[in-house]
Amino acid sequence: MTAVVPSESEVQEGGSRYDRLIQPARVHGTLYTDPSIFAEELRKIWHKTWVFVGHESEVPQVNDYVRKQLADQDVVMTRDKEGEVHLLINRCAHRGLQVCDDKAGNSSSFRCPYHGWTYRNTGELLGYPYNKGYGGKKQLPLGMGKVARVASYQGFVFGSLAAEGQSLEDHLGAAKGEIDRLVGLSPEGKVSLDAGWLRHKTRSNWKFLAENETDGYHPQFVHGSIFGVTGSPIGELYSDNSTAVTRNLGDGHSENDLRPEFRGFAEPMRWFGTTPDRVPNYVAAMKEAHGEDADRLMIEGAPHVMIFPNLFIAEIQVFNIQPVAVGECVQYATAVQFDGGHELNMRMVSQSIGSVGPAGMLLADDTEMYERNQRGVAMADPEWLDVRRGLHRESVDEDGFTIGTATDETGMRGFWNHYKSLMEAED
Amino acid sequence: MTETHPAAADGPRHDIRFDETSGAVTIGAGKVVESEFASVAIKLDQDGNSVRLRVEDLRTGRVRFLDALELESLVWLGEGHLTQLLDPSHERWRG
Repeated sequence: MTAVVPSESEVQEGGSRYDRLIQPARVHGTLYTDPSIFAEELRKIWHKTWVFVGHESEVPQVNDYVRKQLADQDVVMTRDKEGEVHLLINRCAHRGLQVCDDKAGNSSSFRCPYHGWTYRNTGELLGYPYNKGYGGKKQLPLGMGKVARVASYQGFVFGSLAAEGQSLEDHLGAAKGEIDRLVGLSPEGKVSLDAGWLRHKTRSNWKFLAENETDGYHPQFVHGSIFGVTGSPIGELYSDNSTAVTRNLGDGHSENDLRPEFRGFAEPMRWFGTTPDRVPNYVAAMKEAHGEDADRLMIEGAPHVMIFPNLFIAEIQVFNIQPVAVGECVQYATAVQFDGGHELNMRMVSQSIGSVGPAGMLLADDTEMYERNQRGVAMADPEWLDVRRGLHRESVDEDGFTIGTATDETGMRGFWNHYKSLMEAED
Repeated sequence: MTETHPAAADGPRHDIRFDETSGAVTIGAGKVVESEFASVAIKLDQDGNSVRLRVEDLRTGRVRFLDALELESLVWLGEGHLTQLLDPSHERWRG
């Protein structure tokens, strides 16, 4: 398949606002800087589609709760006495106060510190002090707000503030298979995200992060220092000689599929930069659990997938990106933990500290780029950002997905196509 | 001697201090069970002929002793009854 980059004369003048701003080979700088566009994104994307919020393993016990963000909404993820997970809006129904202040805890009910209104951890109002002022007990049909729809896939909890819309499984589409790949690397078929989240404030529009996550063009430049220091061979996977591909998974999701490279090497655990003899218990547990398929799983390794709009699985880490303002977002990062993979888990925590910890090199390098990007797009000329790389050499794989080479901007273009369809929809 | 009781999320809210020379306790003695919503010290009290649980609300200093039968009743308390107790106007802020 060959695509043609449109010339200036072919640019549509009469289309929608987003027709003009989002074109096949370029996007306009105001998409990252215009507060009115950010406000529209909140309504049409963050308040409407499925957004990754957290993981069931963060509330393992009955009555556990953790504070979370869903874009501009402060959310409390709870597990009730029946074991069901809820996402409550952290706001008292009385005077609008933020009810929970701690980042985490265990409590069957929450009591607002302002006037003592008390809620069950399902959001239901249990009572209020001096009830005669309301004509007695249980007179008020009020409760904490709730994220309208909550669903999880392989323990990953998503929320949608829209009462109606497509199912989570439909939203995830082909990305489900990538989450399955990650889970498949657990000897018990389960991952946990309970190692603690690092919170990184980034003075950048959230879309720069989402675009960058499957941009295979930047690693050798931005991450050259950490690759050099650690002797990592990862950088070489992103070059014109690589057999890896960038895949548009549809619905805004995309991945860097490094499996072709790892299959070529046919060495279990190379994806993790180690060898089976250094993690013998993990390898044995995988063989016990998966039999003959264990070698394939350990050769192919974990996914590198960006799930629209905010869940990024980067082999050994998971990122949760939440927008704050047009030029600011927060990315939360945690090390993946494979249930039954203690030996590997310790290494994943160490590697995560080295790469995305406070003094980690990988995320700091990326963040420098995001923030320079944000400062750059505030400049007047040129107005556009170019996303044409590899457009002329894209093809369709056997599953019908558009793919480019390891360094092509195929994933970015997939992101923008989906973004445009959401932003053009009616409120 | 200082005992520190870590809270679930952000570290300890209370240090329990014992003055070993006078026997005075500057804040409720015992293990602390707490969240951001409530803070109670619990301790097995052995002054009676059989052991009781001493429960102290650290925010008000109010103390309640619970004997074995009362504790067993709590374990078997129906969900509705427990919910009733959690209503702030049920006993504490009536009127």
